[in-house]
Parts: sequence; structure tokens; C-alpha cells
Amino acid sequence: MVKKLLMGNEAFACAALEAGVGVAAGYPGTPSSEVIETIAARVADGSATGVHVEWSTNEKAALEVLAGASYAGARTLFTCKQVGLNVASDALMSLNYVGIEGGCVLFVADDPGPISSQTEQDTRRFAAFAKVPVFDPADIEQGMEMMRAAYDLSERYRTPVIVRPTTRVCHSSTFVEVEEGTAGIRARGFEKDDSRWVIFPARSHRGHLEVNERLAWIEAEFSGARAQAIDGVVAESLAASGFSFENGHPRTRLDAAKLLPAAAADLGLWRANGAKATNGMLAGAGDGPRACAKDADACERGSLACAKEDAACADAAATASAACADDAGAAVSSRASVLPPCDLSRFNPIEQGGRADRSPRLGIVCGGVSTAYAREALCRLAEQAREQGECLPAYRFMQVGTPFPFPMARADEFACGLDRIIVFEELDSVIEDELVRLMGMRAAAGADVASVRGRRALAAAAGELSVDGVLDVLERDFLEEALRDQGCSDEERAARLAAFDARRSEEARKRAGRTLQVALPARPPVLCAGCPHRGAFYAAKRALKKLRVRGVLSGDIGCYTLGNAAPLDAVDTCLCMGAGITMAQGLGVVEPDVRQLAFVGDSTFFASGLTGVANAAYNGHDITICVLDNSTTAMTGGQPHPGTGRTLMGAQAEGLSIESALTALGVTCIEHANPHHLEESVDAVMRAVEYRGVSAVVFRAPCVDLVKSAVPASIDADRCTGCKKCITSIGCPAIGFDGSVATLDEALCIGCGLCAAVCPFGVIEAPASAREEQR
Amino acid sequence: MKNIVLTGIGGQGTVLAAKVLAQAAQNRGWQVRTAETIGMAQRGGSVVSHVRMGDRGERVHAPLVSNAQADALIAFEPGEGARMECLLAPDGVLVSASCVVQPVTASLSKSVYAADPVLAALRAREGRTVIVDEVPILAEAGSSKVLNMALLAAAVETGALGITLDELKDAVRACVKPRFVDMNIAAIDMAVASMA
Repeated sequence: MVKKLLMGNEAFACAALEAGVGVAAGYPGTPSSEVIETIAARVADGSATGVHVEWSTNEKAALEVLAGASYAGARTLFTCKQVGLNVASDALMSLNYVGIEGGCVLFVADDPGPISSQTEQDTRRFAAFAKVPVFDPADIEQGMEMMRAAYDLSERYRTPVIVRPTTRVCHSSTFVEVEEGTAGIRARGFEKDDSRWVIFPARSHRGHLEVNERLAWIEAEFSGARAQAIDGVVAESLAASGFSFENGHPRTRLDAAKLLPAAAADLGLWRANGAKATNGMLAGAGDGPRACAKDADACERGSLACAKEDAACADAAATASAACADDAGAAVSSRASVLPPCDLSRFNPIEQGGRADRSPRLGIVCGGVSTAYAREALCRLAEQAREQGECLPAYRFMQVGTPFPFPMARADEFACGLDRIIVFEELDSVIEDELVRLMGMRAAAGADVASVRGRRALAAAAGELSVDGVLDVLERDFLEEALRDQGCSDEERAARLAAFDARRSEEARKRAGRTLQVALPARPPVLCAGCPHRGAFYAAKRALKKLRVRGVLSGDIGCYTLGNAAPLDAVDTCLCMGAGITMAQGLGVVEPDVRQLAFVGDSTFFASGLTGVANAAYNGHDITICVLDNSTTAMTGGQPHPGTGRTLMGAQAEGLSIESALTALGVTCIEHANPHHLEESVDAVMRAVEYRGVSAVVFRAPCVDLVKSAVPASIDADRCTGCKKCITSIGCPAIGFDGSVATLDEALCIGCGLCAAVCPFGVIEAPASAREEQR
Repeated sequence: MKNIVLTGIGGQGTVLAAKVLAQAAQNRGWQVRTAETIGMAQRGGSVVSHVRMGDRGERVHAPLVSNAQADALIAFEPGEGARMECLLAPDGVLVSASCVVQPVTASLSKSVYAADPVLAALRAREGRTVIVDEVPILAEAGSSKVLNMALLAAAVETGALGITLDELKDAVRACVKPRFVDMNIAAIDMAVASMA
């Protein structure tokens, strides 16, 4: 083992390799791309053996490749961003009914904010829709544990499993221990079985029953189920769905001996490491919270986190006043590592904090990175209380690390005796809705009910959460609890809370007044200096102007979406991968007199563009497809694709030809242009736009990340008139304006020469190399 | 807890600087978490790196620094420093480069984006502000890539990071490709000398 500073995605890749992944495939997308890149790097340097890794043409292709590999017994890893799962969904929905052989884990990264995405869709919801179990890590360390647990779960139940971290987990870094070398588990090969691998309506009916049954089992495992633990309200509903227990274990029609070998092996290892053998297969759900300090030797197998927690426990115990049994830093320290590693309820820890002499009325439930935010906020609130010689009111804390199937029995246990529950989660109100469902079941059964406040009530139901956001909510709730502990009357409590609110808005006003008073220009992302897309967009607009025709420029997903910004203003629509080509056809049907241009990148062209081209040729649509071929998947960091011919396994073949694909799909008018050459590009677009039917312009010049910067252009400051034509037409970030003349940032300029072609006074000189090329 | 925020423009080297700080924290036995801006914003947009170090042996939960909690803000571009100043504690230390970088939005607008008013605003804040004149350091080093090391060195010199110059240099040696180590160490020394 070696300890390294790893980004979340790098760490998850290592965890998957350590779990014996034999085949990994995905399509790039922020914030998921680094997983496949890490595996590829480890395959390339020889530290990961027995692994096939690839960037597939798109997410659907990737998941289908992996379905085959999994049927043949290989452990497989699929990666994509949240919207990528939409593309792969057709395969996923059926795959879940058919089931898998080798462990099949889908790493799907969500993007609250969104920071780099089209939507804020929630993969926890997608998992519920597809009826696939999902893990939701709070941090990198837990995500690595979940990745390993996911393979185990997947093989035991023959189900695909989703691990869905969010951007802040994927793109944060910390030091973690990883194996220096890993080997993929050897797959046993495909065994023909028509009753299993061929999906038919009758097979699907049986598959659906299997899916429902295994989900009931998994839900019980997520709840840390022993029969006696599920004796509350939830047991009745489980019983109603045919779920029952035998000797403390969930009972099933499936053969348990066949299903549980991985868990048994895991359990054996755990016992060998000196942890106490537990009563039966799974440890009790209630053992968790305080186990950490009690059973230090079990921490060995845990993680760095646990050792730290022990230190934190001791620290907190020493400093805390006697009245506080545990303070946030200790009690809310997570992982009940004493639970055996096959006990999946460890991902849904329940903890107690604040005053030990009262039973808690307040419950706090978190999912994903919000768990880390809440722990942080609780640490700060506990410290504030300590400074005043006080202690936080009693509270109960729960992380839901397995949001689907929702650990209802565990949540039921958590909710007992609570008055109100606050939920912190990003994206959708998944946990909140499940808790509301739980309260409905409790109410129907005559049990006590807590109010549930979450995403719907607490804040704007979009964008990221933060420690500050959580702190704001909890501070007020703890005050309310403290006032109750003091036995304040309702009126007095209302008055004190009103005073608190007034003080807080006053503080917010003061903080706002404290911000620096200086005007700052916005700094949105832009096309790089020398980006070939700039020339293509500018040429298209010039061509339409010269032809005196109206046009709509449909864009697509990639760096070139940035062509929508001023001054280019050259992207009129952007929907999803590949949509530009097909949307242009619909726009053209409604307005035949408007010229339809669709811009698509080279990687997107192969990923999702081909069907749109075939549709245009078949249905006789009159559009012009502008393929922006920069020889890479630029936005996500420069991944290879079918057009580059380079694979992650080190092969270098001739890339697939965009022209041949266009020709094969029925495009007869295909123009070419170097987008850095303005005149040539304008002419090419004019010819293509004038053609009636499907035409294409292939703009070809490499991404600036792939070329060494050449001699920069030069601006003759003495002769510059300050007309700003260069700035207002192409908006290159290498060109600035000092108030009277244009200035050039030589460090950014790559000497493409486009600005020289734009300057009406010949003041900008392109470097000799660019002039040479133009000739 | 030591909270450090590094801000600048995509491509200026904040990510490596955050890595170096994380390494220094690890060498001290502190738990550390960092968070980066990756993806769309990297294309010439504002970027922010967060570094959180458990300097009292405490566990670091969240990867992001909260509002008004940063002990130090290191700005690779003054305007970006001003933009992120809200993360800095009132008594926190701000270390900023002195040259502004024109975004296209500024070139397109009627008003000129100049360094002086921004630097004046930074200096006028409550806590300590250190403006590093990076021009001679970058010229001497022959590369604009060392801006991150020069700024880190200046920040270490203020004492706000909780690590020493020697620890910074050790971390640089561990994180930077061997052939670039000397250039980066030289930039650190120049930055320190410029503060004297």
C-alpha cells in the first residue's frame, strides 16, 4: 500500500481496480472523466494488469460492451456524468431485468449547481426508476469503501449497482492508501443459457419479480437487518410485500449459499483481523454509534479516518464539559468500523450528539457531500457552545449513504421519539420524500410522527448546498431546542427566535456592506486564444451576411457551446449531445426560408451525430452540418475518440473518417476549410449553404492544447486606430484594449492569424508561418 | 483548522500550488482536503482552489472553505482576489499578484479594466494585504509558470499558512518534476527577498 494525494475520481478508479475490475468503459463528461483516465494511466504504466479500458463511442455503447463482459464473468466498471446515463438508459433498464454475472458497477457523477452540465438531474432518482441499488458517498474515503462494497453487492444479487458521487467529492483531493499494483479477476467466460440472457416478455415478467425480491433483501441489508431490528411499522409493510425472516436472516426463494460467497469471505477476513464475531450474519443496527472508541482494534481494517476519529474522540472527551457525553467532532464522527465489512448499514450510520442527559427531539439526516457539510457545521456549533461553557441540545444524526432502496427500517429506528427532522441533500428531495413516506406509514400505524423539513422547505430547490447554508438552518433549530430545554413558554420562545432572526439579518446586512467596493469585469469561460472554433463561427456568420440570407446556428455540447458568448454570438440553440443536427431539421421544416446550420464537434459527431445525419438524408432535410474537427474531445480534457484512431490500450490505427461517414450516410456536398483561414472558410460555408439538401463543411485544425504555440501576431500600436473591430468581431482573449489601442498578450497568442484577416487597416500582422499556410 | 483559498484564471497554476500545500500539510501529519475547479470554467474563466488543513490534529470534513473562514487568500490576479475576498476572514491575510489580466468582457466594454483601483481596494481592507510585484521575478525566472511559487512563498512569509519556507521547499521537491525544481526554488527565494 502507498499513501498518495488523490482526487476523488482517481481514488475511485484505484478502488475499482483493487476490486478486480477486468473491463472498464465510459464516455468523457465532467465531473466523471478522471476515472477512466486513471485506469488508462495505470494500464499504460503496467501497475494495473488484466484490464481492458476504453473510451467508447458513447455511453450506450460503453454499457453494452460492459454488459457483454459481465455476462462472461468479468468485473466491469462503467463511467459517465449524470446526463450520460440518459444515453445509456436503454441498456440499463433491460440489463437490470436480465441481471449480470461479473460485478457490474456504474459510476455516475452528478453535478449540483450545475457547474459543468446541462441539467441538475439526480441519479438517485434514476436509480429508483431503473430499480438499481445506489451508493452516495460523503467523501473520498467512504466512496472508496462503497466502490468495493458495490462489487460485492452486485455479484451477490446479480444486479447492476450505481455509485454516484457529486462534483465536490469527485474533484476534491485527500491522501489515501492505494495498492501499488492490481490485477483484474480472470473471467470464466460466457455460459449459454437462453432462459437467462435473452430478454423476452415472459423472461421480463420473471425478471421483474426477481428485481423486486432482491431489492427487498438489499433494503434489509442497508438497514442492518436482523429480524428483531425490523419489528416496527416497517416490518408490516415488508411483510405485505412478501418479505420475511428466518433465523434472523431475510428469507428468499433464491439459494443463499450461492448468493453469499463474497460476503462470507469478507466476513471471514474481518474476523481474522480480530474484530468480534457477531451474532449471525449481520451486526445489529444499534451497535454503530459509539463503537469506534470501544473497539479500537477493529479500526485497523477501517481507514485513516478511524484512527483520526479516535484521536478526535479522546480530544473531545478531554475538553468537553461533563454534561456533554459527546460533542460533534466525536459523536458525529462517522464510520462504525466495528461492523463487519459486509454489513452495508455502515453506510447509513446513526449517531447521537449534544447533551447526554436528554433524549433528542431533533433529527438531522444527510445525503452525499451534505453529510460532510453538516458534520462541519455541527463541529463549529459545538465549539461555539463550548466557548460559552454550554453544550448543544441533544440531537440524532443519520447519513443515508444508500438512498435506493431506501433503508426504511433503519430510518424508522432513527425517527423513533423525534419531534422534527431536518434533511440536507442536494438536487432532488429524495431522502425527504422517503421520510415523509415513513411518517405516513407511522401515522397509519398509530406511531408518533415527526415533522420533516428538507430541500422543498429550506432553501431554493436548485444549486449546491454549503456549510454556511447548513449552519444557518441548524443554528436556529438548536436555539429553539435550547429554549425548549429551558422550559420557555411558547410566546417567550417565539420572541427569542424573532430577536435571533432580526440579529441575523442585521449581521448579513453588515457583511454585505463589508465587501470590497470595486467594479470587476465578469470572467466567464471563453474559447481559448487561437481556438479553431472561433474562425469557423465567424466565417459562418460572414457567409450568411454575404449571401444576404437569414440563418439559425444550432450548437451542440462541447467547447464550441462557448461560441454563444459575445461577440461571436454564434450559437442559437443547444439541447443535448448530437441534437444540433436533428433540431436544425425541425427548425427548417417550420421555416423553409431560413438557412439551417448545425455545428457539431468531432467527438460528438461520432457519439450522437450519425443518426441525425442519416435522418436528414433519408427525410430530405435541407441543412448544413458544420463539423468542427479539432482532433480531440477538448472540453473534458482532451480524450481520444473514433476519429483519432488512438485507443486507451495503446493502439494507434488510422482514425475513422468523418467524410466517409458523411458520404455513407448520404451527404453528397462536403466542403473543407481550415478555420484559421477566413476567406477559404467563408467560401466553403457559402457553397454548402447554397446547396439544396444535406451539405457539410468539415472545419479542420487541431485544438490549441495539441499544438505548441508558434510565433505570436503583432499589433502596430502607432497605426492602430482603436476601432476595436478585432475585439468586437472575434473576441480573442489574447487581444485587449488599453483605452486607445488594441493590445496583444503574447503569452496567450498562438499566431493563428485570424485577427490579421479581420483588421480593416492592416495593422495586425500575422506571423510568417500563418501567412505561409494561407497561401 | 487552516483554511487557504487560491484564486486566479484557468491555466495560471493554482492546482499545482494547492497540491504543494497539501503535501506540506501531509508532511506535518495533518489531515488535508483540497477542492478544484475543473471543467468548463477552466477555459479562461475564474478558478478557485480550496485547501483545508487540520493543523490541530482535527478531522477535515468539507472540502470547501466557508464564507469569511479563510486564513489566507492567494490571488493570482488582483480582480479575482477581490472577487473571492468574501471567503477571507476579516483578519485573514491576502497575498495578491499585481498585474491584471483583461477578460474579453472588459475589452468589449466601454470602461477600461485597470490594476490600480483594484489594488487600492485590496489594500484598503481591514486585514493585512501583501501585493507581490511578480514582474521582475517572472522575468528573472524566464517563465510565467513560477507565479504560483512566488505567491506561495510570499504567503508563507506572512506566517498565515502555518508552515515554514523550508517545509514549502520540501513539498515543492516532492510535487514538481525534477527538472523544474531549481527554477521553482529560485522563484521562492526571489519572492522572499522582494518582501524584505
